[in-house]
Amino acid sequence: MGPGVVAPQGIQALQDATILLGAPLVSGVVSHVEARLQGRRGPRMLQPYYDLAKLFRKETVVTEESSWVFLAGPVVAFGCYLIVPLLIPVLTTYGLPLGYMGDILGGGFILALAGFSVALSGTESGAPYAQLGSSRAMTFGALIEPTILFVVFAVALLTSTDLPYAMAATVRSSTSEIVRPGHVFAAIAFFLVVLADTGRIPVETHTGTLELGMIDEGRTLEHSGPALALLKWGSAMKQLILYTILINVFVAPWGLSGTGSGGSVVLAILALLGKAILLGCIFALVDNLFSKLRLFKITEFLAAAFLLAVLAVFIFYARGG
Amino acid sequence: MALAPSTYAGVADIVATLVLLTEFAMLRAALLRSQVRIYAFQSLVVTALTLEIAAVRHIGALYALAALTFVLKVVIVPALVSRLLHDADVDLAGSPVLGVASMALIAIAVSAFGFFAAGSLHVHSPTLPATALAIAVAAVLVAFVLIVLRADVVSQAMGFFSVENSVYVATLVLAAGLPLILEVAFLFDLLVAVVVIGVIMRVHHGRTRTLSTEELDRLKG
Repeated sequence: MGPGVVAPQGIQALQDATILLGAPLVSGVVSHVEARLQGRRGPRMLQPYYDLAKLFRKETVVTEESSWVFLAGPVVAFGCYLIVPLLIPVLTTYGLPLGYMGDILGGGFILALAGFSVALSGTESGAPYAQLGSSRAMTFGALIEPTILFVVFAVALLTSTDLPYAMAATVRSSTSEIVRPGHVFAAIAFFLVVLADTGRIPVETHTGTLELGMIDEGRTLEHSGPALALLKWGSAMKQLILYTILINVFVAPWGLSGTGSGGSVVLAILALLGKAILLGCIFALVDNLFSKLRLFKITEFLAAAFLLAVLAVFIFYARGG
Repeated sequence: MALAPSTYAGVADIVATLVLLTEFAMLRAALLRSQVRIYAFQSLVVTALTLEIAAVRHIGALYALAALTFVLKVVIVPALVSRLLHDADVDLAGSPVLGVASMALIAIAVSAFGFFAAGSLHVHSPTLPATALAIAVAAVLVAFVLIVLRADVVSQAMGFFSVENSVYVATLVLAAGLPLILEVAFLFDLLVAVVVIGVIMRVHHGRTRTLSTEELDRLKG
């Protein structure tokens, strides 16, 4: 190991720390930009940190009907969101010691477990709107799943592996890999999946307070105090994780550290946060340009994402890559 | 690991896939006006594909063909159909049989058939990757789904015109150097089709006060 090179375990810890500490910042900046686009002054960029600090100081209120699952759900989900950054290329171009613990599917399973535990804890609250949110989140989650599977198939066909690191390396290798139809359509499909999974318009208004239109937001209505803080923090982390996968695996895997030297790692952290904020601004723009779909029209949106992912695989089989 | 196609082939395939995607967009569109707009956009994509081939493969005749395609399919045909629509004063149409998501799934299955059928032909073309042929065949089949499942004259007409667009993409793969006079003859075929369909639309609307073809199985007397 040369001088100034950070130990792989250290970088791994930094990956987690970047997601953990950077997620509220990305959320804050994006909601600030979003407010500006709508002509509002908007919250401070650091507002999510203040919100979390406030919630951690508050007491937790639990309904009489609910069991321990109600409080365990947010903790399990938070733990899941801490594991996923170990598996994906957050800061480095090469796999870190624990990076090969799981492939894309492994990461997907852990994210699904997080979603499941939040939904379970919402159901356990005994409140109708939280249960409505949980059941909707699971229903639409099941419809998003086929798209994710086909995106994984496309990655597997393009790289002969299902490792996110290999996909990022393939994209970096040449221009013809970037404009490869299989890659382009898989990336667009994944973009739509992120749109749906982070509760953005056209699927859901993430700032809305009307329970009847809620999907993801609805699940957490009954939580309070530290549990709600964990849920909010967790959903910001999930958003940054999905952004990271979209950026560092599909769209722009540049700026990552290839050597592991201290300077390049710092640069990679800044690059990731910068790229994530830029991507978040694109999502905010989408938020402002489109209107929310009716609940029963969401299937059409998800069908479009599925179509793109399927076409990516078809074109590959028609020898067009 | 499969080798990536060249940048030119990749871009051409993406543009060809846009033709297929617009076909799917037509399946979704419920407004007849947007149906016509999507057709105009599809024709624009086809024009862009023609220009790309002309520029990269240095086929001069294709520039003329692209210009003709643009004038005819992006401007004249959509303008004519929109005028007919304006006169008919009917806005909405949808499939009476299936919802959009189910139609999309059927169309995906059908286009899978097209992809694999054309893929097994092993066609090699000097101008475009063979994948574009597979995409064109899939687009033809999806246009047929549109024609079969939608029960209004406009969707069926647009389906028919977009079959022509897809077949055009297929000819770009198989015979990009086709003599210009033949291509122009095909384009005039399209013009004749527009006139015929325009007459059908007018007569149908005049008799039944609707553009839906569902009424046609009623017995008269």
